[in-house]
Amino acid sequence: MLKLDNINVSFNKGTVDEAILFDNFNFEVSKGEFVSIVGSNGSGKTTTLNLICGTVTPDSGAVIFGGKDITKLSEHKRARFIGRVFQDPKLGTCSNLTVLENFALADNKNKPYGLTVAISKKRLDYYRQLLSDCNMGLEDRLNVQIGALSGGQRQAIALVIAGMTKVDMLILDEHTAALDPKSSETIMQLTDKQIKENDLTAIMVTHNLRYAVEYGSRLIMMDKGKIILDKSGEEKKNTKTQDILHIFNEISIECGN
Amino acid sequence: MFSLFSSVEVFLETGLVFSLIAMGYYVSYYILDFPDLTVEGTFVSGAVVFGIMVSKGINPWLALIVSFLAGCVFGTVTGLLKVKLKIRSLLCGILVSTALISVNLVVVSGGMSGDFSGQSNSSISYGRVVNTLHDAFFGDIIPSRVNNIPLRNPLIFLIVAVACKILLDMYLKTKSGLILRASGDNGQYVKMLGVDPGKSTVIGLAIGNGYSAVAGALYTHISGNVNQSMGIGMIVIGLASLIIGTSLFKRVRFLKPTTKVIFGAVIYQACLTVAQKLGVPSAYNKIIMALIFTLALIFSGKVKLKGVSTKC
Ligand SMILES: Nc1ncnc2c1ncn2[C@@H]1O[C@H](COP(=O)(O)OP(=O)(O)O)[C@@H](O)[C@H]1O
Ligand SMILES: [Mg+2]
Repeated sequence: MLKLDNINVSFNKGTVDEAILFDNFNFEVSKGEFVSIVGSNGSGKTTTLNLICGTVTPDSGAVIFGGKDITKLSEHKRARFIGRVFQDPKLGTCSNLTVLENFALADNKNKPYGLTVAISKKRLDYYRQLLSDCNMGLEDRLNVQIGALSGGQRQAIALVIAGMTKVDMLILDEHTAALDPKSSETIMQLTDKQIKENDLTAIMVTHNLRYAVEYGSRLIMMDKGKIILDKSGEEKKNTKTQDILHIFNEISIECGN
Repeated sequence: MFSLFSSVEVFLETGLVFSLIAMGYYVSYYILDFPDLTVEGTFVSGAVVFGIMVSKGINPWLALIVSFLAGCVFGTVTGLLKVKLKIRSLLCGILVSTALISVNLVVVSGGMSGDFSGQSNSSISYGRVVNTLHDAFFGDIIPSRVNNIPLRNPLIFLIVAVACKILLDMYLKTKSGLILRASGDNGQYVKMLGVDPGKSTVIGLAIGNGYSAVAGALYTHISGNVNQSMGIGMIVIGLASLIIGTSLFKRVRFLKPTTKVIFGAVIYQACLTVAQKLGVPSAYNKIIMALIFTLALIFSGKVKLKGVSTKC
């Protein structure tokens, strides 16, 4: 379904700070897979997601999605079939607008944003249902400005928004990292539920090794722009957090963190 | 002692005229965080278009709408420079307002004769009276003066300002309007919805400059002439009105921001009138303008002007 084909990415080209991150990087994801990615800081996890979403364009190589070459497709056009939740809860919602206004906007995704009234009263019950499904104490808070909510609540809403209209792939970049342990757990369960219910193909970068082992159908570890471990199927099921932690410590010590 | 009331029509009139620039800034600066310098050019363009059309005998209300559209077109150019060519916001405004000096000159020389170079305060008077918005709408219903205070222009301007305010409020409730508000707040979010936030930038600048052109048209409606330098100072007036309005009535929940902005513009003009009445020589006008603006910034806690420092 997704293929990163011979990707080359370097930053600050032509300056003393030039750094090659990806040198002929290859990565494939099949339909229905739920891939967890772990790896040390700066190993290229976010950049991988950025390549998929169009935030970063490769120096050479191709991004193929569903058989089509989307390397040159802009970020907002890819968003029509790729949903994304960021680490920063502020990015996935609009803080100046109310929960209702955020939902109304997301509800209209992939349709024209023209001169008709944005908020439809008919959808209110549906929105309330979405909120109560979150189990985050968000019932009856439709008219609150998003900026007034906690990080966990915002992230729950960002997750709802990312899945509100049908997407082919869900991209999660450490989306629980900025939250307290309890919210983090709730969001992770919501995420898993959403992926299963909608049969989504998903890629999740996480710092939490336990989440990577517990959730998902495939586990990948990255280091210095390379995939150094790739387990799926039975092999993934039999993997314990301890095994991963061991390898993870080794690469982390190498790069000094 | 002076009576502020005796010049109420002056600051009411000018306040209402400038409230349009301030409403435009509400969209381009307050919502979209775009410090737009184009307005000084589009203010003159609006005046030129309106003046020439009316002096050629065209209905002034139609002329007002055409002025608005002209402003929208120039605002769109600024927006496209920003979005398509990725030029810095301040530069986009400088480029378009510079080009507009020639555009305005060419348009004027096509419709009127006289020195419009803007040097030594030269200005062109129209061949006939352009103060006709009232007559074309109400005929003779409204008395021209009550207690020796002229009534017609302030009333007409009030109608125009309120109409523009209502239209803007309505727009901001549409899908397109909501996307525009989201674009100013979180462009990444808008992209995630499959929309290019650049589109909002262009729409916002079109609205902002359309309103500035209407302000220019109303201004020339009173003054009866145009000159190239009449746009100078409009950025400060627009921003000051916007910030005075939104910060003074910050806690007043039931007022829409657009309403606050209209109040802000009138209050700002009232302050300037007071300064003049107190005997400050008119040469100090612009200093007073800047001073009141600075005070408003200090009191609103907005000294760190959002946008100007980070995004220009
Ligand atoms: N825009 C950028 N400019 C310069 N260097 C970058 C940029 N984005 C990422 N990098 C570098 O690329 C490497 C990988 O970054 P990233 O993909 O964010 O890592 P991870 O998400 O795995 O922590 C890091 O060394 C980082 O400094
Ligand atoms: Mg990262």
